[in-house]
Order: sequence, then C-alpha cells, then structure tokens
Amino acid sequence: MYCDAMINKELVAASTEPLILSLLADGESYGYALIQEVKRLSGEKIQWTDGMLYPVLHRMEHRGLIKSRWGESETGRKRKYYSIKKDGKEAMVRHHEQWSLVHGVLSGLRKEQHV
Amino acid sequence: MFNLDQAILEWRRQMLAAGIKTPVPLDELETHLRDEIEQQAKSGVNEAEAFRVAVEKIGRANLVQNEFKKVEPKWADLEWKLTEVLLAVGSILAPLLMSHSVLFHRGSSAMTLSQKMASLAAFVTFALLVWAGRLSYRVFPVIPRKRIRNAISLASFALLGLWLQVLLRVILPRHDFTMSQVTLAFIWGWITPMGGWAGLFWGLETAARKKVPLASP
Repeated sequence: MYCDAMINKELVAASTEPLILSLLADGESYGYALIQEVKRLSGEKIQWTDGMLYPVLHRMEHRGLIKSRWGESETGRKRKYYSIKKDGKEAMVRHHEQWSLVHGVLSGLRKEQHV
Repeated sequence: MFNLDQAILEWRRQMLAAGIKTPVPLDELETHLRDEIEQQAKSGVNEAEAFRVAVEKIGRANLVQNEFKKVEPKWADLEWKLTEVLLAVGSILAPLLMSHSVLFHRGSSAMTLSQKMASLAAFVTFALLVWAGRLSYRVFPVIPRKRIRNAISLASFALLGLWLQVLLRVILPRHDFTMSQVTLAFIWGWITPMGGWAGLFWGLETAARKKVPLASP
C-alpha cells in the first residue's frame, strides 16, 4: 500500500537532525509546526512519529545545537519555541556536505548504468 | 459526553506513570496534543475521535519515555560540567592568589617593583592561555576516543614535568640568581606554560564534545 512510497525508518531517523536544523535555520519554530512542515515538504512521504520528535529536539538542545524558550501561541497556549545556534549552523553545513556527497555518488552511478 | 480536559488529564497521568518528567516534556507534549486535536477538529472530526488519533500519533508512553531517557544528563556529563567549573574558577582564582602573594610578600625574597610587574604579566598570560584554549576549540582536532585524548593530555603534562626538572636542576643552578629572580624565572618558565597546558586540555575536550554533531542520534 502506501508503505512503498514512504521513506524507510532508518533513513527517516538519519535525516531528522539535518531536517530540523535546516528548518530552524529559516527561523524559530515549534515541534508541531516542524512535523507539519516536513510532511508538507516531502509530500507526506516523511512522517515523524509525533512523540519521538521531542526527545530528538531535547537531545539537540542538550548538545548545544539549538536553544529553546517558552512563549505563547496565537491562541494563548504556552508553547516551546526552538531556534538554531551557531554550532547548529555549522552542523547543518556539514550535514549538507555529507548528504550531497551521497547524493552525488548515487546519481553518478545511476547515470553510468543508463549509458 | 466526552470531556477533553478530563481526557487530557487522564493521558497526563498515564505519561507520568511511564516516567515522563514534569513539567517540561509533558507540558510540551500536551501543547502538541492540543494543537493536533484543534487541527483535526477544524477538518470536522469530533473531539473524542480527534483525541484518540492525536494520542495514538504521539505514541505509547513507555516508548516516548525510552527516547527521553537517552537525553537525560549522564554521570559523565555532570563530571565534565564540574571539571569546566573548576577550570573556569581555577584559571581566575589561582592567578589572583599568586598575584596576592607576590605583591604582598615581605622579607629577603621580596620582589622589586619591576619583578612584581613581570610576575603579574605572567599570571595574566596564564589565565589568557587557559581561556584561549577553551574559546578557540573550533581549531582543535576532534578526537572522539577518550583514551587518546587522555594520552595526549598526560604526555604533554609529563613533558612539562620534565621541563620543570630541567629548569630547576640544570638551568637555574647555572645562574647566580637571587631568590626573587628564581621565583620570577619559575613563574614564567613553568606556571605560564601550565596555563598553556590547561588551555590545550580544555580545548581538546571541548572540541570532542561540541564538534561532533554527526554522531548518529
């Protein structure tokens, strides 16, 4: 069924951190919005388990890649906002380098096979 | 009749029972739950169903807790925090104490004014070297293995020890120094390099801790 089109679990796990960093590089955000954004950008093919995102965010905060603050939503609900830190930006650049390397190798190989 | 607040209260109880700590993670999860329910309600789903789906999407309490457990500070982290505090306080306090004893020392080995100034400069350099290591951790190589980092720190410390022997047994006896001159030579010759060593240690350890964002989660 829809499972074929979904990205597999390992790939989702490995891409979580670069995705979060890249999303936060565009500006402050919160857990629910991050999940929605990734779902939208991936055409619903990347779906994070909601509860699992928060431990990842906390771990990244603990490592000093991102920081958080409590704020208020438009409806007055208290909400935890995350933003990227300098170390996080550096980590993001390195992630991008590594992913493009893998991507480059893969597409190079595919071209070879089609010639 | 379905009562949302009651249902959320019950859900909080289950999460608590699984060990999710209050207030931070649980409050954050609750906000998420309410956002999700609100979103579903907008598309016409009734509250009870929206709640059921939202809870399911967050996942089982024990699974979420397992993930949170991985991020709780471990003993090694606390130990490192303590080391950092000691380094920070020590790098300021030690030069201050040494300056005090140099400035207010009386008796035959009391220093002249220029010797005092030279000593103070050495202490300032000491503190600067320690902090330079910490602040420039980005230029240090990342050595992920603790044992190799320990070996480097120990080896450089041993080298300093060797240098101290050379300084005290070989170099200084060849000069006809007064006591205050010996003290000054010792301060510049050994205390200041110690600052460099502490800076090296701090920088290496910080680099290994901060510069490894690519370690898998």
